[in-house]
Amino acid sequence: MKIRVDLDLCQGHSVCIDEAPEVFSVEDQLDDYPKVKVLNFQPSAELQNQVRLAARYCPNKVITLIEDNE
Amino acid sequence: MKTIPIVSGAKPDTGHIEEYSANFVQFLLRAEAECGVLAEYNLAGQETILLSGVEAQEFFFRGSDENLSRAAAYQAMVPVFGPGVIFDAPPDKMKSQLKIQVDALRYQNMKNYAPVIAQEVEDWIADWGDEGELDFMDEFLELTIHTATHCLLGKDFRDKMTAEFKTLYRDLEAGLQAIAFVDPYMQQPIFEQRDRARERLEEIITAMIDERRNSDIEYNDALATFMTGTYADGSCLTSTEVTGLVIATIFAGHHTSSGTSTWMLTELARHPKETAAIVEELNAIYQQDETLSHNALREMPKMESFLNEVLRVHPPLVVLMRRVINDIEFDGHAIPAGKTVAISIFGSHRNPEYFPNPEIFDPSRTEPETMFAYIPFGGGRHKCGGNAFALLQQKAIFSALLRRYSFEIVDQSDSYVDDLSGMVLRPKSPCRLRYKRRVS
Ligand code: HEM
Ligand code: SF4
Repeated sequence: MKIRVDLDLCQGHSVCIDEAPEVFSVEDQLDDYPKVKVLNFQPSAELQNQVRLAARYCPNKVITLIEDNE
Repeated sequence: MKTIPIVSGAKPDTGHIEEYSANFVQFLLRAEAECGVLAEYNLAGQETILLSGVEAQEFFFRGSDENLSRAAAYQAMVPVFGPGVIFDAPPDKMKSQLKIQVDALRYQNMKNYAPVIAQEVEDWIADWGDEGELDFMDEFLELTIHTATHCLLGKDFRDKMTAEFKTLYRDLEAGLQAIAFVDPYMQQPIFEQRDRARERLEEIITAMIDERRNSDIEYNDALATFMTGTYADGSCLTSTEVTGLVIATIFAGHHTSSGTSTWMLTELARHPKETAAIVEELNAIYQQDETLSHNALREMPKMESFLNEVLRVHPPLVVLMRRVINDIEFDGHAIPAGKTVAISIFGSHRNPEYFPNPEIFDPSRTEPETMFAYIPFGGGRHKCGGNAFALLQQKAIFSALLRRYSFEIVDQSDSYVDDLSGMVLRPKSPCRLRYKRRVS
C-alpha cells in the first residue's frame, strides 16, 4: 500500500491521527491551517486497516491509497 | 485571449442586479445556459464572472488567497461579525483566526458533541405527545441554535441563553439580503437593526468571557479555544474578536444546518419507503450501541446517502464568490483584477453529466469521482471547516428523532419548495409536517 495526500485540501481536522497515529501526524503551519504529515508512506500490513479508516473518514478526502494489487 | 461572453438583458446603470435580486439561482442557471463555462454579468457596477463546470470550479477552489480574495467578496459580513474579524482582518490575522476557528471544530473536540445533540433533541420533543403538527422551519431554527451554542460555547452559555439572545441573533441575520452585497452600509432599517443587535450581542458575550476569565472552572469547548488561541506574535484575541468568532461560527452553522434539517425531514416525510429502510438501519445500530456513540454515528450508509441527496438538491449555500486581486487566466480567457468570480453550487448539483435526471430526488446516486461536482461544503482551502460537525449533527438529530416519531406532509407535496429570498436556501415557510409517535 502507498499513501498519497493532497495538502491543498487538508484543514487539519485530525481524524487521521485518531485512526492511525503511527502513520499520520498534523503539524502547525506558520500562516495556514495545520496540515497532515505522513510519517510512513508504506505502512506495514498491521497498520493498513487503520490507514484505510483514516482515508475513509477524513472529512476532506485528503488521503488516497494505492493498494498493492492495483 | 478569448473574450468572455456577457449575459443578455443588462440595464445601462444597474446591469443585471434587478433580475439577480429577484431570483439569483434562476439568473445563474440562465447565465450558464446562455454563455457556457464563463459568463459575465454586472451587479450594480460589480462585474462578476460565473465559472461553471468541474474544471472551472476546481480552478476556483484551488485559487490562492493572494489571487482570489474571499474577504473582498464578503464585505457584507463585516458589520455582522464586527471590526477586525475574519473578512475585516489583515490576511495574516485572518489566517490565524480561521485556524483557531477550525481548531475548535476539530475531531478530538467533536467526540463529545453527539450525546449533547441527542439530549437537546430529547428536550425538544419531550412535550410533543402522541401526535401533532408543527412548522418545522421555525422549530429547526431554534433547535440548531440550541445545539450550536451548547456544543460550541458550553452548557453555561446554553443555559443562560435568553429569548433576547435569539431575537438579537435573528436581527443580525436579517441584515444579510442580496442588497447587503452591494453596499452593507446603506441607510436601511434592516441594517440599523443589524448594528444594534451586533452591539448588544457583544455586551452579552463580553460579560460571559469576563465571567470565565474570573472563574477557576476549566472549559474545553469552542469558546475556550477562542479565548486561549494566539496570533503568530503570541498575543491573544480581544473581546471584540472573540465575540466576532463566536458570531461567525454560530452564524456559519445556523441557517445552513436548520435549512438542511428542515429539508431532510420534509424529504423523509415525502419518501416513506426510504425512511423505513433508514429506521431499520438505526434500529440495528441501537441494538448494539444503546447510547449512540460517536463511532456508531459515522457508519450509517442509508442515512448518509439520503442526507447527501438532500444537500445535493437543496444546497444551503447556493453561490460562492471571490474578488480577483491579481490578473488571472482560465482556459485562454483573461480575468483582470477587480472583477469578482463566482460559482453556483446549485447549478453544479444539477449538471446532468454527473447527476443524470438532476431534478429527481434519488438517494441511490453514487458520488462522482471528481471532488468538484458535488460541493455542498465548497472545496479547497476554504472548504467548510464545520463539515464534519454539520454531518454529525444531522445524523445525531435524525437518529434521535426517527426512532421516536414518524412524519407525514400536511400540504400538497409540490407546495414544499425552496425559498431563496435570503442568502441561504431553505424550505418556504410555513413548512408544516405531522408527527406520530412510533409504537414499538
Ligand atoms: C449543512 C450545513 C452546512 C453547509 C451546507 C455549509 C457550507 C459551507 C460552504 C459551502 C462553505 C465555503 C464558503 C466559501 O468557500 O466561500 C463553508 C464555510 C465554512 N463553514 Fe460551513 N456549512 C455548514 C455548516 C457549518 C457548521 C455547522 C459550521 C460550524 C459549526 C460551519 C463552519 C464553517 C466555517 C468556519 C467556514 C469557513 C472556512 C474557511 O473560510 O476556511 N459550517 N460552509
Ligand atoms: S488529512 Fe484529513 S483528517 Fe487528516 S488532518 Fe488533513 S483534513 Fe484532517
